[in-house]
Amino acid sequence: MIARPREPKGTPRQRALIEITTLVTEAPWRVHRVAELDDDALLHTIALSSYFGHLNRIADAVAVPLDFTVRHAPPATDPTVPALAPAPSHRAGEPVLPLARRPATAAAIEAWHAHVFDRDAPLSRDERAHLQGWVAAWLGDPRRAAPAGTSDADLRRLAELVTLAPWQLSDEVFAPLRARGWDDAKLFDAVVTASTAGMISRLHVALVAVG
Amino acid sequence: MGLGYVDHEHSTGVLREIYERMLARPMPPAYKPRHGGVAGIITAHALDPLLIPKVFGTSTTLNGAGPLTWPERELVNATTSRLNQCLY
Repeated sequence: MIARPREPKGTPRQRALIEITTLVTEAPWRVHRVAELDDDALLHTIALSSYFGHLNRIADAVAVPLDFTVRHAPPATDPTVPALAPAPSHRAGEPVLPLARRPATAAAIEAWHAHVFDRDAPLSRDERAHLQGWVAAWLGDPRRAAPAGTSDADLRRLAELVTLAPWQLSDEVFAPLRARGWDDAKLFDAVVTASTAGMISRLHVALVAVG
Repeated sequence: MGLGYVDHEHSTGVLREIYERMLARPMPPAYKPRHGGVAGIITAHALDPLLIPKVFGTSTTLNGAGPLTWPERELVNATTSRLNQCLY
């Protein structure tokens, strides 16, 4: 069922969960209601998939080994798999299913967002604003725009891979930033900032797209 | 390849305190790592210790609550990981 998420099997509700999860992960601007999931279940699916994508990105960037007992070993990562396509346009509008329907989740994400974005180091606030704006654009979120002015191509490349192809993260991607003196803490901050921005934009765009 | 991280054994100060709090959380046996220590996905956040309770506090609101059932939540998580080609 999970090995080929694009050929879903299982019950109609399971297939609906896989369909929505796939859209949230690959094209949140295409999320739609499904008969098998009521609004609360749909919101939970969207929020959970958005959140778990952050864990995936951190695991990929840090390359932490799997330390759980699993019945089926995951396949080896294929870095040749193409990146996800960016959003074709902004998805304007307000969330049809506001996250406030899950107040504990909304409060937790707000606290997380504040921790990542309301600080001056290791990344500067300007670097955070750039990351947030780029990520928002790739995911179709109209609420943020990268500041005007010269952008950091190496940082942008890192953010693009975190957002659209985390399986392609490698030491080669970190190398130009390391060459400038960025230590692991600053690189991690960049990954976390991009991943957090991605989770929040992905969640917002999907909740707007539900329609 | 990858960024550095600090496991429980080598952690000190604030990071050690946070790891201890994470270990004290009630957790289904299936979520406990083989080594019995702090799960790798938590130690993967070691470079920003104060982020750990924010990220995993969010997890509690999503993985520890409905309306999706536990198997359904696992299906969503595993599908997301498969699509992102992630071990986790």
